[in-house]
Amino acid sequence: MNLDFGVLADKWQYLLGGAYYTLLFTFVSALFGFALGTILSLFKISGIAPLRWFATAYTSVFRGTPLLLQLAIIYYATPQLLNYKISPLLAAGLAFGLNSAAYLSETIRAGIMAVDKGQREAAIALGVPYRMMMKDIILPQAFKNILPAVVNECIALLKESSLVSVIGVADLMRRANIVSADTFRFFEPLIFVGAIYYVLVLLLTALANRLERRLRRSD
Amino acid sequence: MTDERIGAKDGKSEMTGMNGGHAETGGGISAGVAETQAASGGNAGNAKPDVMIRVENLQKSFGKLNVLKGITTDVARGEVVAVIGPSGSGKSTFLRCLNRLEEPTGGHVWIDGIDILDRRTDITRVRQRIGMVFQHFHLFPHMTVFDNICYAPVKVKGWSREQAGAKAMDLLTRVGLADKANEYPSRLSGGQKQRAAIARSLAMEPEIMLFDEPTSALDPEMVKEVLEVIRGLAHTGITMLIVTHEMKFAREAADTVYFLDNGLLLEKAPPDKFFTSPQTERAKQFLDKVL
Repeated sequence: MNLDFGVLADKWQYLLGGAYYTLLFTFVSALFGFALGTILSLFKISGIAPLRWFATAYTSVFRGTPLLLQLAIIYYATPQLLNYKISPLLAAGLAFGLNSAAYLSETIRAGIMAVDKGQREAAIALGVPYRMMMKDIILPQAFKNILPAVVNECIALLKESSLVSVIGVADLMRRANIVSADTFRFFEPLIFVGAIYYVLVLLLTALANRLERRLRRSD
Repeated sequence: MTDERIGAKDGKSEMTGMNGGHAETGGGISAGVAETQAASGGNAGNAKPDVMIRVENLQKSFGKLNVLKGITTDVARGEVVAVIGPSGSGKSTFLRCLNRLEEPTGGHVWIDGIDILDRRTDITRVRQRIGMVFQHFHLFPHMTVFDNICYAPVKVKGWSREQAGAKAMDLLTRVGLADKANEYPSRLSGGQKQRAAIARSLAMEPEIMLFDEPTSALDPEMVKEVLEVIRGLAHTGITMLIVTHEMKFAREAADTVYFLDNGLLLEKAPPDKFFTSPQTERAKQFLDKVL
């Protein structure tokens, strides 16, 4: 069998370096997606109809079209439309953040709805204003409920981040392709970055489990 | 009892004067209620009782279902009212309309002279003066008992953490939970949860306390400890309305019993009078069943 991991002897550091971009990018888009998703979820339960319409339309469009297409539009069309040369990292972060906000807004909305109605009533009866009630009483409980779903979304983001290789961000996937082109060997670099992805997902899962245990302290 | 209230109200005569116009309408509508406190009307000329809550022709319907069909009453400052009646009679809805947890569909409610159904009224501010205790406690599960109590005084009233903390410990001692301050609600028994919830409401120093079946979700052996706490609050100046199925408690702790049936306030009388000689057939039937 033609298999020789020796070809990675002087490449493995380069490949591993891609993990930095993969992680940076996952982190930025998850954070952005979570913040925007929270705002959209609040729009969806708001009493102001235009906000609800906007959030619903937003989710519909971003869930209804391919992520790769959204990425391509943001990266390639921004210079044409705005005369601004967008960096691949920014374009990718934006596309993934906007996209995952659409999914997360639904998750967060479900989390808010699942908080006992009595919590809201208790806060209202104490004279707590709406914003404070959401921030201190409802959302913390909602986030705790949906933590497993949010971890799923983060794991999906981490893996889907391999899509950014198409616009030239030097992430794990892109670097595996470059090494393949250099050495004319495919299996070794691909299986190597595959292992890195898997380890990153395991680390993320372990981190989430710790966080979940901490949040369960009050149970 | 009525005379006492008249004496206590002098300082607030201006406020009462403001409501003069409404009082007349209120009197007209309440004519159907079996009113045993006739004395208050006779004194209207010189001094009216100090009214904390004035309810006039209060109505609430959920779609086609009319839950409250026009309730009119005055609750004096410091008065303790037990609200009783068969299930589905509108007792809880009546209570929940007083802080607009339910939006009334008709009528008027004044809290200390403030029309809470007026669009310009900042209801959040009024609610800060009204405590509410729920059947299912509704403590905030992600906060310790101590933080549950400090939260609203610090965030809403702007108290310092020291000030709110001292108040919280004081209240926890009063309800017998000082040793549970740093526990999460999930570690407390039902009776302890309800006492903590009462302390949380009291931390806002409310002038009115609304109790919505505070012992209905408790195991029988825990009912007493909660009732004792509530009884301890009675006649300390806080105006109290208690929706309850505990007839013995209503009889002993309340100044006035409201008997609601089918969305109407059918009787309003001192407990001794109500429990020994109810005026309406419905109340007689009800008392036959529960006593």
